[in-house]
Amino acid sequence: MERRQLPNYVLCTMKNLNMLIILYLAGVTAYSLSGYIQECSAMDFLIRAKRIPLAPWKIPVLAVGLYICLLVLLSIRCRNHLHFFIKTAAELGVAFFLSSALNFSYTGIVLLIIADTMGYFSDMKQRLMLLTLICAAYMLLDYDLLSVRYSIISIEVCWEYFQKDARSFLLGIRNVLNSLNTLAFIIYAIVLILVEAYEKERVQGLNERLNTANRELREANQKLEEYARESEKAAETRERNRLAREIHDTLGHSLTGIITGIDACVMLVDIAPEATKEQLKAIANVARQGVKDVRRSVKALRPDALETLDLKRALIQMMEETKCSTGVDILYEIGTKLKSFDKDEEDIIYRIVQESITNAIRHGKAHKIWVRIDRSFQMLEIHIKDDGIGCSNIQKGFGLHHMEERLSMLHGSLSYHGNDGFTVDAQIPIRWGTEGEDD
Amino acid sequence: MMEHETERKYGIRAGVCALLLLVLWTVVSDVYKKIPCFGGKDVITVGVFSDSYWEVQNGHAYQILEDAIARFEEQCPGVQVTYVSGIMKEDYSEWLSEQIMRGTAPDVVFMPGEHFNDFAEAGALKDLTPFIEKDEEFHPETYYTSAYEYGTYEGIQYALPYECAPKLMFVNKSILTAEGIEMPGDEWTWDDFYRICRQVTKDTDGNGTVDQFGVVGYTWEDAFDSNAVRLFDEKGTECRLTDPKAGEAIAFIERMEGLNSGYSVPDKEFALGNVAFQPMLFSEYRAYKSYPLSIKKYTGFEWDCLRMPAGPAGANVSRLDTLTVAMNASTVHAGQAWELMKFLTGDPAVQSEIFDYSEGVSVQKEIVESEKTRVLFTDNPDTGNLSLTMLSEAVEQAVVVPRFHDYKEAVAEADRAVRAILDSSSNINMETIIQNRNVNNYLKSKQ
Repeated sequence: MERRQLPNYVLCTMKNLNMLIILYLAGVTAYSLSGYIQECSAMDFLIRAKRIPLAPWKIPVLAVGLYICLLVLLSIRCRNHLHFFIKTAAELGVAFFLSSALNFSYTGIVLLIIADTMGYFSDMKQRLMLLTLICAAYMLLDYDLLSVRYSIISIEVCWEYFQKDARSFLLGIRNVLNSLNTLAFIIYAIVLILVEAYEKERVQGLNERLNTANRELREANQKLEEYARESEKAAETRERNRLAREIHDTLGHSLTGIITGIDACVMLVDIAPEATKEQLKAIANVARQGVKDVRRSVKALRPDALETLDLKRALIQMMEETKCSTGVDILYEIGTKLKSFDKDEEDIIYRIVQESITNAIRHGKAHKIWVRIDRSFQMLEIHIKDDGIGCSNIQKGFGLHHMEERLSMLHGSLSYHGNDGFTVDAQIPIRWGTEGEDD
Repeated sequence: MMEHETERKYGIRAGVCALLLLVLWTVVSDVYKKIPCFGGKDVITVGVFSDSYWEVQNGHAYQILEDAIARFEEQCPGVQVTYVSGIMKEDYSEWLSEQIMRGTAPDVVFMPGEHFNDFAEAGALKDLTPFIEKDEEFHPETYYTSAYEYGTYEGIQYALPYECAPKLMFVNKSILTAEGIEMPGDEWTWDDFYRICRQVTKDTDGNGTVDQFGVVGYTWEDAFDSNAVRLFDEKGTECRLTDPKAGEAIAFIERMEGLNSGYSVPDKEFALGNVAFQPMLFSEYRAYKSYPLSIKKYTGFEWDCLRMPAGPAGANVSRLDTLTVAMNASTVHAGQAWELMKFLTGDPAVQSEIFDYSEGVSVQKEIVESEKTRVLFTDNPDTGNLSLTMLSEAVEQAVVVPRFHDYKEAVAEADRAVRAILDSSSNINMETIIQNRNVNNYLKSKQ
């Protein structure tokens, strides 16, 4: 049993006890009244009572009905003061009628209201003020006090129907039940105060824990900042590596070609000056091509297109531009929307397509390139084929190697073969959360 | 969002509460009886007893009521009036109490005089003041004042008179004739009364014991009434035994009792023809004067009735017993019930039937003084030759005693006090003061 729930349990017991008391008083009173009627002493009773009692069947009906009403009212929690005031007034009103249905023989119901109200305020001053008011109502509800001013049938007159011994017994039970209710109220009050003290302690403990946690959080924050700095450095390194890769991819090839060409020229220049001239022209072309590649690389390093356009449009723009600048016929087919990929994925997809096209033009001397991007299950498939010379014995250069490296970062795979032109197949798994949106 | 939801939940609970309270109110206040599916037709029930109020079995128990109901229903279509038959007068108050406690009491109840106080005090009867004030067709002045006032308790009108009977002095004319005494006039006094009583009290057969008496059943209350003594004030807070007029009355009773030398005359002596006077209700005159009941009682002598003898400070007045009609305090058909009450107590046809089927007197002055009634009472072998003026005056001037809380107990206390004064051997004035104080203390204790 949780300690904080304890007052609620006591209150619940009080509610049940009150129900029992009300049923008991209403039942016995109704029984004695119908007894008067059955035994032909109704006239005597009226003369003694000097007032018309409720019809016997109405007493339990009214008492239980009003009590249910009171329970419903007690179950309502109010936030603002006006509502609370109305609620308490309504509760007291119902208690008054309930009490009058029982000939003002029982006022313990008000204790129930007091108990409920006590649980409301933690502010001692407000609580004291309200309790004073309700206690005044409690005292005013007393039979002896009310009967001075108003004519009320005392429950003792009703119960005179029973023999003296039986009556004493019944009144005794009533007194015991009444005392039990008072006792339950006192227990409730004590438990409430104890629980409040405990709560206060608990809140203090919680506060301390909160302070410790705050301190720890600050420390963790500092560590996190350090880590972020380190992480920034690592990103720089990674970027440098990438730059190196790019330089190798573009400039490396051209420079290698130029060096080899010049070496040949050195040997040829004396033997065949004409051939050397031809060779130098070719070297100049390679150099020019290299410059072009560098420019393209620089451009690729900063995929402006990706910054401003979405992936699909960027790809299309890149292919169209290549088509125009090289005169190679690029046929593309993109069967999926290519939306909701993360930035790194977009970059890699873009680069793979770009690299493959460059390779096809540069190494394969292709005239026609087919590009197909599609989705199958949870995979993005990129298929690039050309009609170039192909390659029967593929030596992985920096380009293919980097493509593989990049794809493995996305847990994707790459396959290629050089028969009948050159074909590249890349497969990239689609991450969680992006599924479905592509259809 | 959550807060909003909780508030809505509490709002619903408050609504349920209000609805439950409404249902409880409807059930407890009997308003539900007005709802059509619970028999909401305008059915007015009347509580009435099967035998005559005047203790005479005349076989016309429900005649007046049935005629009245038929005419009333004709006048007010849509209203149905029913009554429960078969309740004897002696069981009536108990029956009515049971119905009241069960919450099933009739809307309109005939109220016997002896229990009117109890029912009014218990709050079983509706205060008629609002109806009287609102209803322009209602004229209290058509009733005999005394009969009308009979329906008041602590100054509030709870009932309307239906029929009444004044207390009159029955005279054995045969004794008076035999003794050569002239029949006293209508305005006779205590002196006449005492003189005649003294003259007739004697031993006629000469066996040494008195066997012919002056009066039987004449009480101190009769003497107080006819000497204008108001024993209690309106609220029942003060007793006035020390009033000199009360003293005169007590002295008169003492003188009267002295005639019989302490012998208490049994009531039956009057029926046997051995007593000259006995105070009785007018209804007895009606009952036993007419054939065939006259054979059973009061045979062998001529008799007639007079108003009560007047004391030196008072007049020829006496009390009135009245059968009233009241409204159940918890009726849901108050409007129709009031109409029916007005009809029963004020309609000329209903009121004139009282002379045909009952032994009482109509409470409407016009009916009593009408030509039809005059024909009925004048030169009629059944009813004798009764002076209607005497009857009308006896009713009109009848004493109405104040009604207050515990009136009966107060009277019992006063009776004990008067008895003590009469039995006292010491100074009568001293004893009166002592007894008066006792009764006053009693009244104070009841406040």
